[in-house]
Amino acid sequence: MKRKNTMVAVAGTLALSVAGFSNTATAVDVSIDEIVNDQASGEDIVSYGLGPRGQRYSPLTALDKDNIKNLYPVWSFSFGGEKQRGQESQPLIKDGVMYVTGSYSRMWAIDIATGEELWQYDARLPEGILPCCDVVNRGAAILGDKVFFGTLDAKIVALDAKTGKVIWRKKLGDYEAGYSYTAAPLIVPTKAHGPLILTGNSGGEFGVVGQVDARNPDTGELVWSRPTIEGHMGTLNGEESSMTGVKNETWAGDMWENGGGAPWLGGTYDPDTALAYFGTGNPAPWNSYLRPGDNKWTSSRIAIDPENGEIVWGFQSTPHDGWDFDGVNEFIAFDMEKDGETIQAGATADRNGFFYVLDRTNGEFISATPFVQDITWAKGIDEKGRPLFDPENRPGNPAESADGKKGKAIFAVPSFLGGKNWMPMAYSKKTSNFYIPSNEWGMDIWNEPVTYKKGAAYLGAGFTIKPLFDDYIGSLKSMDPITGDIKWEYRNKAPLWGGVLTTEGGLVFMGTPEGYLKAFDDETGEELWKFQTGTGIVSSPITWEQDGEQYVAIVTGWGGAVPLWGGEVAKVVSYLNQGGSVWVFKIPEGLASN
Amino acid sequence: MKHWARVAVVLCMALVSTVSLARELPDDPFQSVMWESMAERFMPDGEIVFDERVRVMAPLSAENQFHVPVTVDATALEDVVEIVAVADLNPIPLVMSLRPTEALAFIGFRLKLQQTSPIHVGVRTGDGVWHVGGAVVDAAGGGCTAPAAAHGNSSWMQTLGETRAYAGRDDDSTARMTLRMRHPMDTGLAAGIPAFYLNELAVRNDAGKIIAELDLYEPVSENPTLTLKPRVGPEQMILHVSSRDTEGNTFSFPLDVPAATGL
Repeated sequence: MKRKNTMVAVAGTLALSVAGFSNTATAVDVSIDEIVNDQASGEDIVSYGLGPRGQRYSPLTALDKDNIKNLYPVWSFSFGGEKQRGQESQPLIKDGVMYVTGSYSRMWAIDIATGEELWQYDARLPEGILPCCDVVNRGAAILGDKVFFGTLDAKIVALDAKTGKVIWRKKLGDYEAGYSYTAAPLIVPTKAHGPLILTGNSGGEFGVVGQVDARNPDTGELVWSRPTIEGHMGTLNGEESSMTGVKNETWAGDMWENGGGAPWLGGTYDPDTALAYFGTGNPAPWNSYLRPGDNKWTSSRIAIDPENGEIVWGFQSTPHDGWDFDGVNEFIAFDMEKDGETIQAGATADRNGFFYVLDRTNGEFISATPFVQDITWAKGIDEKGRPLFDPENRPGNPAESADGKKGKAIFAVPSFLGGKNWMPMAYSKKTSNFYIPSNEWGMDIWNEPVTYKKGAAYLGAGFTIKPLFDDYIGSLKSMDPITGDIKWEYRNKAPLWGGVLTTEGGLVFMGTPEGYLKAFDDETGEELWKFQTGTGIVSSPITWEQDGEQYVAIVTGWGGAVPLWGGEVAKVVSYLNQGGSVWVFKIPEGLASN
Repeated sequence: MKHWARVAVVLCMALVSTVSLARELPDDPFQSVMWESMAERFMPDGEIVFDERVRVMAPLSAENQFHVPVTVDATALEDVVEIVAVADLNPIPLVMSLRPTEALAFIGFRLKLQQTSPIHVGVRTGDGVWHVGGAVVDAAGGGCTAPAAAHGNSSWMQTLGETRAYAGRDDDSTARMTLRMRHPMDTGLAAGIPAFYLNELAVRNDAGKIIAELDLYEPVSENPTLTLKPRVGPEQMILHVSSRDTEGNTFSFPLDVPAATGL
């Protein structure tokens, strides 16, 4: 006996036609020009930092100081599962689709119109990964029909933007030796190789050697690599290119072999100079007596020529670092109008508490201003940009103590978590000011003997963090890069750990660990709007325009390094609950500014 | 205007449906409640017939629901283009598909069963007809939702892709190859473990020409074990096996087929 299969046949036809339609509607194709010019277009976000310079400035004006009070949530999307912690990601936006990464090396594509999931990718992580400071990821990169992101086991993966299927996956380092990857990859144009995808590695607490790699985005093949530590050899097109620096010039003995300097926060790119700027992490171990010398290029900013991976210039903010003043913080290119001249400048707010302005063409020092209070480790910065160390406030040498086991403890400001940590600041082309998410805290720190062992923490130091003030730690500051004046300050009880966004509409957005996404007046610092997302925010907000409306989005989910390392700070953060979701906001039709 | 558009769509659908209705679905000798759905999803287009020439050999009762051996022999059919195996009552039914370009219509594999289930194998011939065979395997529950045995050892990733393989001959023109690759074949259904499985495998000759191509899916057993029968000449040759998993890891190795003179 046979029977006809009517219902099934109709369903099959429908499914086919629907699939055919959505294929044309969602074809993904991002060009390198779109990435280079990302800041100018409000309709999409195809780079980390809303443009390769990382200014986190949007030209959109539909949302402004007057109508911000009407901003309301459109949808919220849960990352699901039990992996609810440490969401530091900045989403990307292209053709009505959001690409967002989450903790534990996961990624989602979401239809912005409906908030529905298009696909999810879960990296299959091995047991025994060694992320030092929580299981975070800071975002993806996009080019052509692929999205790229790094995983906690130190791999970079290219996914089909339409399906989430793996196209290629490459190893950046050995996760068992402490390598991992948490930053957003950087895509830059080159004449010699076409677009390249640049990554820095993580693992500074395990004695890894910092390295910037450039790969072909189509295949994942390595084009060049540049170690950040003096004495190590770079490669170009599969062959040795040049040594970083001169071996043993600023390092004694063989300590450079596990010297740290991990550029774990990734980099920025400036189309004017065609240079990629990477910050480099702390030297290893933390105990500075074990490694005499300046220890280049740790705790530095380096400018790399993407054509060949050569270092064009370097600027070391903390030579011979003894406080874990990681120099990874983002270097943001901006044009500074001073005395009727336009200076091709770049700025960075360092862990060590000073805000530096450099000439971005050659790395020459222009100025340094404290952006946090009561700095103790240095008395100031000299005219060449070198710190005036206070020898009293470098932790003591354990070899000089009675039993040789613990050096003299000192109190240093800022703490090793920095005047500013990873969370990116913003630069407004409207006000010409920087908006710096900072923290007012110090630490007791002492040194201990240590030897290198693969995969084990390589610190040689003990520490505990203390707030400087009873009523707040977090401090969002507006700073004039020309005068170093702080125009306004917003104080927050818990330490800030999320990035900042500013707009031509005159707004500054930032999330707080207490769970609020807040908007401030860019000129006065007045709080204009806030929304409680239900879990702490440690990520960077974005804004874009879609179908004629301006949207704002933020990833939420408490975590990051503060709850893991916090010391006495735990008092103000221990009650905060974890989470994992994206919130998307807009204003009702008719209330936008024209 | 809108109204007319809708009428047009309905008319179109009616037309298309009529064409599709040419396909009649035979009753399932294995009496699977999922048969209609399996046929529609995994054996689309073309006539469907149950055919004794598709021999599906599997145990009546699975000794181990994580490793149920299945052998499919459709060598009695001419011009086989594709072989598709589904386990109807698995949470993920599709097990594997084989395109035996230069190989016999034959495959041995192992699969995970979530519960007692019919297994349907569709063999598509060049004329577009699906010839279907099957078996019912009795099994205890849980084959697809338990973590892989490999995860009892924290260093399982180090041995990923380790392979034991062998190639010999059935006769002058047929080789027989068996391989076993270390892979957890995670289904994504065990708590906290994302899907992670070997999903592509190809066998090529020395000139790079495809002999057989396989798509593998979540229900294939941990450490996939496969047997294929490539068509070869009498001379000594090398089979080139390459495979890829869902994380983009690739594995490849050569397999030596001895000359036929020794037989």
